[in-house]
Amino acid sequence: MVFEAIQELIADKMEMDAEEITMDSTFKDLGIDSLDMVEMVMELEDKLDKEIELADKIETVGELVKYIEEKC
Amino acid sequence: MIRTRINELLGIEYPVFQGGMAWIADGKLAASVSEGGGLGIIAAGNAPADYVREQIRIARSITDKPFGVNVMLMSPFADEVAKVIAEEKVAVVTTGAGNPLKYMKAWKAAGVKMIPVVASVAMAKLMVRVGAEALIAEGTESGGHVGELTTMALVPQVCDAVDLPVIAAGGVADGRGMAAAFMLGAEGVQMGTRFLLADECSIHENYKQRLLKAKDLDTIVTGRRLGHPVRGLKTPFTREYAKLEYTDISDEELEKKGEGALRAAVQDGDAEKGSFLAGQVAAMLSKEQPAAEILKEVCEEAENYLKEGAKWVK
Repeated sequence: MVFEAIQELIADKMEMDAEEITMDSTFKDLGIDSLDMVEMVMELEDKLDKEIELADKIETVGELVKYIEEKC
Repeated sequence: MIRTRINELLGIEYPVFQGGMAWIADGKLAASVSEGGGLGIIAAGNAPADYVREQIRIARSITDKPFGVNVMLMSPFADEVAKVIAEEKVAVVTTGAGNPLKYMKAWKAAGVKMIPVVASVAMAKLMVRVGAEALIAEGTESGGHVGELTTMALVPQVCDAVDLPVIAAGGVADGRGMAAAFMLGAEGVQMGTRFLLADECSIHENYKQRLLKAKDLDTIVTGRRLGHPVRGLKTPFTREYAKLEYTDISDEELEKKGEGALRAAVQDGDAEKGSFLAGQVAAMLSKEQPAAEILKEVCEEAENYLKEGAKWVK
């Protein structure tokens, strides 16, 4: 569910097909920089109704999914 | 007299911050600005904690008034600098290039007020949650590391998004800029470039002369390719660097070319190797004067412009 939410958000924001976004995609390759990331995480919070305090360095979609599922 | 929430929050006479310019904003400059009624800020930059502690002590030997320290969160010494700030109970910490979440507990306990520099609305909202007491919204007109949005576009959007007082930075060098920033919703301004010409600013004489000679189009942004764009004066060094960004030179080599460039400008005034950071307002600088005079002049001008603004309303 977390993955689908992230996938949908990125597909919408970056105007790309959801299938192009996988657990292995890096945010860098998707064209998402650290400021975009802050914005995206805030939208994710609303979407998932969770508080997400990013502390670790997160580089891939899979890492973000894991972080949210385990720590938030 | 101009009075905003910033005056009250910090107990200062003028709601004007002096930007935390790496290698430049030392204890002496910060103390002179604070002594003059504004908020002086010591830049930690990439310097180790011992340097920062020394500068804090120098500032305290010159003034009893509050001043701040700017922490560059990407610095390898960020952890130890953050600790020194708490130990020394510095009045204000301004932060850039990241999220200071992990230091907040120690700073709050020491009574340090955290005022981050933000360049986007999302970052502004995040910083409110982390515990900021005010925000510095910095537009891309500024010198040094720059964001994407201009001050004109950024400040009102940040003011709409948060309830905290906002300090506008980037493109402000005189009372007109300050008055304009207030119209955008800001309750204070931060100036960096203007304070480069303060008598108490100890940059190399060549740096000051270049600023005095600068024209409107004389600043350039380099480093976009590496993801950390920086604005400075056009020099043989920055022109060459800008060209290299479009060649097939590796990112590592490009990064290496930039190392030590700011230091070469500040300490040696070397235009062949140096990067003289400055904002778009560089061309507006016309004289060297004491920091206290800059503060008084800018605030008195702003006050007049704000009063005069009513003349357009019929």
